[in-house]
Amino acid sequence: MRRRRLLASGGLALGVGLAGCLDSLTGGGSGRPTQARVEDPPDAVYVPTHVEGMEMAGMARDGRLRFALSYSFPHAFWLVTGDRRRTVDIREADSVHLMVSAWDSETGMALPTSNATVSISQDGEAVVEKSLWAMLSQNMGVHLGDNVALPGEGTYDVALSFGPPEARGIGDLAGALADSASGTFQLEYSPSTLSDLPYETFPDRQGERDAVAPMEMEMQPTGQLAPAGDLPGRALGEGTSGDATVVAQALDAVPAGVEGEGTYLAVSARTPHNRYPVPLMALSATLSRGSRTVFDGELTGAIHHELGYHYGAVVDGVEAGDELTVGVDAPPQVARHEGYETAFLEMDPVSLSV
Amino acid sequence: MPRPRADPISRRDFVRSAVAIGGVAALSACLGRESPDLATGPDDLSALPDRQHAWNAGLATDEYGNHVAARHQAVVLFDYAGEGTPTEAERDRVETALRSLERAYPRDHEGLLFTVGYSPTYFERFDASLPESVDLPAPEALAPFEDPDFDAADVVVHLASDYGSVVLGAEEALRGEVDSLNGVDVETSVAGVLERVDRRTGFNGDGLPADHQDVQGVPDSEPVDEDAPMYMGFKSNFSKNQATEDAVTIADGPFAGGTTQHVSQLHLNLQQWYEQDDRYHRVATMFCPAHAEEGLVEGAGDNLGETDQIAERGCPAHTERDAREAGVVGHSQKSARARDADGNPLLLRRDFDSADDDRAQLHFVALQEAISDFVETREAMNGTDLDGAVGQRQNNGILQYMQVVRRGNYLVPPRRHRSLPTPSPT
Repeated sequence: MRRRRLLASGGLALGVGLAGCLDSLTGGGSGRPTQARVEDPPDAVYVPTHVEGMEMAGMARDGRLRFALSYSFPHAFWLVTGDRRRTVDIREADSVHLMVSAWDSETGMALPTSNATVSISQDGEAVVEKSLWAMLSQNMGVHLGDNVALPGEGTYDVALSFGPPEARGIGDLAGALADSASGTFQLEYSPSTLSDLPYETFPDRQGERDAVAPMEMEMQPTGQLAPAGDLPGRALGEGTSGDATVVAQALDAVPAGVEGEGTYLAVSARTPHNRYPVPLMALSATLSRGSRTVFDGELTGAIHHELGYHYGAVVDGVEAGDELTVGVDAPPQVARHEGYETAFLEMDPVSLSV
Repeated sequence: MPRPRADPISRRDFVRSAVAIGGVAALSACLGRESPDLATGPDDLSALPDRQHAWNAGLATDEYGNHVAARHQAVVLFDYAGEGTPTEAERDRVETALRSLERAYPRDHEGLLFTVGYSPTYFERFDASLPESVDLPAPEALAPFEDPDFDAADVVVHLASDYGSVVLGAEEALRGEVDSLNGVDVETSVAGVLERVDRRTGFNGDGLPADHQDVQGVPDSEPVDEDAPMYMGFKSNFSKNQATEDAVTIADGPFAGGTTQHVSQLHLNLQQWYEQDDRYHRVATMFCPAHAEEGLVEGAGDNLGETDQIAERGCPAHTERDAREAGVVGHSQKSARARDADGNPLLLRRDFDSADDDRAQLHFVALQEAISDFVETREAMNGTDLDGAVGQRQNNGILQYMQVVRRGNYLVPPRRHRSLPTPSPT
């Protein structure tokens, strides 16, 4: 077992300027190690050094879609291009980690990826405009987020331009995700509210192959997918790739919004422990029956009222004895918070015997 | 000649600011700084090309033969001030005013290059419709994820020169604010016939974006390189990726010799681009994943020569594969999927960056034979057809970093019909 320890936090990693800034954010030298890292973490989902609570600034609705705007401390996170990962460190100017959560009110399904652009202004003056990254966080779930620099304490107007999501809506969500949507929020930002947010470190567990549980949120879904046993259709099997859990189901009725006739093959890629969808992957599948290949093609990202976010294709039936191989053409390009950045990068095919 | 560093405001910065501010006082200050020593335009205007958009012969070229954009530019929007349809007298006024500009400055990048265009709104006042040889629909949103406002002005004048004082001077002369330009009397102006309703200014050229990076949309770390002609750090006007002036020229009908012009205004949001992304990601998303893998792009990309190497590396044909396997696609790669039957680009870009309103912006001026050519190219650039690991914006070219806030479509008539034309001029 490799030894893991907390890297030096705050002052050493960030320099005097940022340490001072964090002091002011956290109400004066409470020393929250927001930039702390686990040294030499496993290539898998692991318990982070710490998690922080978040404050909801407000909610908005457009048609059947719902949006929540929340914020937390600025976070380090990781962006992915292909199988390359890069670290985004906290800037001295960053005030908050801003998050938009989106879901369909009729099915409760979270929309983990989409165009989501926020324009932040104060007294009519533009402050920040940016398109948020699709992100995974162990305690805050799937969201669209980024660190944002605000000029100071005060009230900000936030205009959200959302959608349409890349994934198509199917089943009860057929046609529901085709258009763009918008929402407006007021963000009351004060460093003292931020410093009052709950904060928890995991000195004994950090670096372990496990995950922090999702936050309890009264007003919004966490984005967790249903347990494999509760998914619709026939269970074809389950495997793992790059520490993601890959669950395959066969739906004998092709859901609304999907063209073609036959059986709908649905592959749900989810985080271990917390069952969050793993979006922005390219998956393909090969279905073999004896010496015959009955399907060999790409899976398309979709959101279904029971399956949630998944990858699917119409195949000409799935029978007992078939061999299903799910290949990962590109790992998830979703941004990751601490504890997810080393997982879901090296991803082998998953083979299942039906 | 480089100015002494003690100069509190660099000459480049000063001139750009003057162009952005506009007006006679700015012109005067700008003239004082630049003191351009220019020949005047010709007395005999009959030798000027019939194509208003024939600028290339008057542009400088770099060592690879790429046309270099004029450094200072403006798009000035006007409404027709009269009731009903323009009269012959008004037409003559506008034409005389435009000829005054041509007499004042040589028709090149040190002098003045300009076009005058007309919107669908302008042509609505006539009973007759535009001929079928002109494709000029009203502007519309060109991506499912954009929600722009639409230009409704009647007339657009695009002005370009290496001298900010020339751009400003032309604008002020049109508006009747100055009596002489470059020592040449201004015979008349469009005042009373056309009323200015908007102006957008900017620049294109090495060092200008770096000089104006203290704007919203560019982080405070001053990341824009001194060698970059555009805010995003890369050059764009590779001659092999530009349509020729011939190709964008309307071939038939009363407006033969003209072209269509799309003018969009985009906000650039480059904090992620410069502070969160790395060079690999920037090259992959601006050009093509192959360019990032092979390290083809040095600095702003001047080393690439007369082509961005997109077609040569087979990037357009690999777009779908890259979306699935590389997890990223490039802006040029996607856009280069829109080509004519001979594989040539559909657009002639005449775009420029802007610091208007202290905000990093791009005024994307593009010429094409038909607006549908622009729509086709923009749809290719959207990449909404791509199924794979790329997002609607994320890892999908440079969509993550820009917001389209305005779009406008215009007809740029041939010079002979450039002054308040009817839909079927003779």
